[in-house]
Amino acid sequence: MKSIYKISVLIFLTTMLASCSDDDGTMELSGTGIVKIEFDNSVSGDDLILGSSYTNSQNESLTIERLNYIVSNFRLTDKDGNVFTYPKEAGYFITSEENGETEVVLMDVPAGRYTSLTFGIGVDQEKYLLGAEGQGDLLTKAESTNMMWSWQAGYKFLNFEGTFTSSTVTEATNFKIHMGSHGSSLDNYKETTLSLGSEAIVSEEMSPIIHLVANAGNILDGQNKISLSEQAVIMVSEEKSPKIAINTSGMFTVDHIHNGSGDAH
Amino acid sequence: MKKFIVAFALLAVTISLKGNVVPDDPLNCTSHVSLFYYDFCDTCGCSGNGGSMGFGTGLNNNFIGIRYIGQYYRSRDGIFANSPWIDENFNTLQLWTQIPLGKRIIINAVLPYQFHSREFANTTEQHIDGLGDATLLGFYQVLKQTPDSIVSIKPEHTLQLGGGVKMPTGTFDEANLEGSVNPSFQLGTGSWDYVLAANYGVTHRNWGLSLMANYTVKAKNDKEYRFGNQLNYALNTFKTYYLGTNFAITPQAGIGGEYFDKNEEFDLEVTDTGGNALFSRLGIEVNYRQYALGLSSMLPLAQDLNNGKVEVKSRFSIYANINL
Repeated sequence: MKSIYKISVLIFLTTMLASCSDDDGTMELSGTGIVKIEFDNSVSGDDLILGSSYTNSQNESLTIERLNYIVSNFRLTDKDGNVFTYPKEAGYFITSEENGETEVVLMDVPAGRYTSLTFGIGVDQEKYLLGAEGQGDLLTKAESTNMMWSWQAGYKFLNFEGTFTSSTVTEATNFKIHMGSHGSSLDNYKETTLSLGSEAIVSEEMSPIIHLVANAGNILDGQNKISLSEQAVIMVSEEKSPKIAINTSGMFTVDHIHNGSGDAH
Repeated sequence: MKKFIVAFALLAVTISLKGNVVPDDPLNCTSHVSLFYYDFCDTCGCSGNGGSMGFGTGLNNNFIGIRYIGQYYRSRDGIFANSPWIDENFNTLQLWTQIPLGKRIIINAVLPYQFHSREFANTTEQHIDGLGDATLLGFYQVLKQTPDSIVSIKPEHTLQLGGGVKMPTGTFDEANLEGSVNPSFQLGTGSWDYVLAANYGVTHRNWGLSLMANYTVKAKNDKEYRFGNQLNYALNTFKTYYLGTNFAITPQAGIGGEYFDKNEEFDLEVTDTGGNALFSRLGIEVNYRQYALGLSSMLPLAQDLNNGKVEVKSRFSIYANINL
């Protein structure tokens, strides 16, 4: 009897201690913080390494030498459905694998618990129609990163280049996929919305990193199948570039969110 | 390392083949064989892995000693299928003791010193060292073996129930979360964690069997990180061979398993954490008078740690105790 008493005391004490340690962790979030978005380029599960080869489902072997794209118009939705829209005048970013520029930094994001992210791939017509003067430094950046045809033709939203071989093209052949809106005649700007699967917590002290993976394999081998053997240079194509735009907007997934002071990935 | 394990296994087999006879006068035998040896990984920051905790409890087996535990892991440095593997070595040196408190209560205490290292793909090395998380456990002996009986005609049962605390004496450093997906490269969990434990053992003549389980409830640390709760279990068998009046050798074999809940940070689940592993275990303890020297190795039989991004390769431990 005495031993049962002792055991119950022991169990009681440990359970009590254990339950004490849990608290609900509702933090007061205030002020504004930075949100970093990492665009980690990959090819079907592997880290994208420029110059290395992979084979897609159409049996074409691609060696990717360049992957640049424009991302824009970021919007963050919190758990209550409130939407924060990043200021349009600062809202255009060029990511470039060859330059190692794969991180987008959003400043002065209001405190909150964000659960979904929306952004555009490319430059929307509203921005383009502001004319050359309304582009800010986007124009010069685009020119220096091979993301511009000419002002009249417009921005390249995607610059995807390299060489390939296939059963019919046995010699390594250059491919160039330059996708954009072609002035104002064909609008290829697309937006994508990603659920974060968790929360990105923003406050004066908290600057989360949203780690996205972009699967470059999807550009030709996504929802739409684009054969390089059939056409290796695709620029102004009313038929193919809208398909590539859809594929490109579908290449992003959320890998993980890193909450904290923003130093660690 | 592998060679060593093989040699060690062979040694155990050789000894068991020799066969043995219980000494004529067992009361003269001063060796006291341990029933329970935990080779469990405590989270010591290792949530999936990392500094094992060890408690020896057994037949009047109060002791003080030191133990070294080496654990060898590899983990993905990155999120991709072609991200490089990096080797991680967790080294723990422990001061451990078991002392009685009255007739039925025994106290286990472990004070670890950790020195871990890992080498990244770019060949830079990272070392962390310092005190690990100290553990203090109390057990109530529900069933106790007859004092000083080494060999009994009837099977002897032991049952111990207890619990205790793991104290945040080891440093948890957020910066170590960077670079690798293995969040366990830490000296400690940084939190007060609570342990519930149960040990059952049966010995008959010089054979023994032990079953152990413990559950660690982990709390959130001041960096808002919380390692997942952990369940450990083990089954071990052993046989003691008495060589003369002063010597005894006890080869041991068993299996052990570990299960980890996912970690949380800011109350949100951390991806690629949690998992489980099952180990085979071989060990041997040599007793001379009141001194004990032990070796044990653990090799994984099956594992799924951190969504496959952490792999345990092996564990090895060696200890020297003085029975009190």
